[in-house]
Amino acid sequence: MTAIRSLMTEDHRHCDDLFADAELAVGKKDSQAAKACFEHFQQAMLAHFDAEEKTLFPTFEAKTGMSMGPTQVMRMEHAQIRVLMDEALQALVLNQFDDYLGYADTLVIMMQQHNMKEENMLYPMCDQHLSGETPELLARLETELNVA
Amino acid sequence: MQGLLSFDQAPPFTAPLRFFLSAPVFALLAGLILVWDGPSLLASRWTPGALAVTHLLTVGFMLQAMLGALIQVLPVVAGVNLAQPLAISRWLHVALSGGAVLLSSGFYFASASLLITGGIVLGVSVLGFLVVVVPPLSRTPSTSPTIRGLKMAMSGLFGVAALGVVLALAVANGWSIPLLSLTDLHASWGFAAWGGILLAAMAYVVVPMFQLTPGYPARLSWWYPGLLLAGVVLASLSVWFEVPGIGQLAQGMLSFLGIAFCAFTMHLQLKRRRARADTTFRYWQLGLACTIFALFLSLTATFWPALAEYNELPLLLGVLLIVGGFVPLIVGMLYKIIPFLAWLHLQNLGGGKLPAPAMHKILGEKEMNGQMGSHALALVFLLGAVLLPELARVAGLLFVMANLLLLWNLSRASWRYRQQSKLMREQLAQL
Repeated sequence: MTAIRSLMTEDHRHCDDLFADAELAVGKKDSQAAKACFEHFQQAMLAHFDAEEKTLFPTFEAKTGMSMGPTQVMRMEHAQIRVLMDEALQALVLNQFDDYLGYADTLVIMMQQHNMKEENMLYPMCDQHLSGETPELLARLETELNVA
Repeated sequence: MQGLLSFDQAPPFTAPLRFFLSAPVFALLAGLILVWDGPSLLASRWTPGALAVTHLLTVGFMLQAMLGALIQVLPVVAGVNLAQPLAISRWLHVALSGGAVLLSSGFYFASASLLITGGIVLGVSVLGFLVVVVPPLSRTPSTSPTIRGLKMAMSGLFGVAALGVVLALAVANGWSIPLLSLTDLHASWGFAAWGGILLAAMAYVVVPMFQLTPGYPARLSWWYPGLLLAGVVLASLSVWFEVPGIGQLAQGMLSFLGIAFCAFTMHLQLKRRRARADTTFRYWQLGLACTIFALFLSLTATFWPALAEYNELPLLLGVLLIVGGFVPLIVGMLYKIIPFLAWLHLQNLGGGKLPAPAMHKILGEKEMNGQMGSHALALVFLLGAVLLPELARVAGLLFVMANLLLLWNLSRASWRYRQQSKLMREQLAQL
């Protein structure tokens, strides 16, 4: 079963696409569109983090008993990504494109290496350990991701 | 699992940084030798100066940066945690730097004892690195093309170093072995089985990550490192059994594979979704274009003997592959890795209580772009100097300049990191 991995990976790609929209708008120096696109991206990211932190991770932790392991590291990275998103959006609000690009650069690398760890390690572990709960869990995750 | 936790266990910044900061110093030395020797250095690939410069760049710059980056990257991409990253970095850095200087001096001053010492020091350094890295790496299942590629690259590293030691001893002791074909083979192991495979394995990760491009196709990226390794093994067999025809075929195959990889990477980069073409992107375009040009020349020479006999061809290929190809690709990556690591370590230091300066505050785009322009100018003059040796000294000076700027940029990033972490420690103490 790779249902969790597929669903969550697909949502990572969805967030990447929204981020790319913001980047395109920044490339065109369209600050209104850039801000709107970036806010949309941020919402999707926050919904993704929420789905993980409130549903996926607790289920995984309850099942495996690992609460200080990989999920804790992922939570810490979520916190770092949240800060970077705030800083990047702030730069867009102030029309400071160069600053935005600097924050976005850091954000992209942070986000991509974070996604890589989840997609290659954590999600496969979830699929392996949570196979019994999958249908209900998937339904819940899907609802939570669709908020954004 | 290991890989997930490794985020916390990332080696201290000074572990990889020492390699990154000393790499430009060796390129600087190479440029100074070209200025000193002038046109005579470029009379052939076998002049003492050309051999010294080649090894200052390949061992002093490239190998140094590659092994330093691996110490950082192995935990992240392969979940391979080295037991004592800082201790390993310390001795490896000293041994590699010392070995590069000894070997290059051995070539430059035609000193048998320096050549032997340099060869052995480098052989032992590489062997030491492999002894530390290969056991944990081989225990890691090959769940991604990158991990598989890294494993194969290690055999490439062993091959290039082993042949290098044999060649250094043979030249120093006057052994009668086929120097010409073994040197070509040494270069194939270095550029294809080690450098090429390592580059591909890293590109699978960093090209999509830095530029938000689509990924490399899974099946092709899985088989690519094996094809390169097979080509180099074929070339080795042709030397061993003295069947030059097969060697030519293998060289042709390697050139073709290299061109295909670079062209595909360029194609991916054109589909990037970032707001602007940054320095890393431009450096990669330069590196890929030069590598394609070099391999195209090499491929043509395999089928067109008149070009193969052209005396300047090996020098031209060397400048294109090293100064035009690998160095820009490596510097392009360093320009992302160093500011990102600085941010990451500062972020961890701040522990959510203090903000860390983003990457562009550590190393600015203008500084990086200026350095790249100066590297590109040096490259043009170096290529010119291969055809018109009178340009050698100017080319050498420009190359020195480009590497001074690189050293300046990287040192400044490291200085800003140190300043910032000092400041943050003071602020944390007051909280």
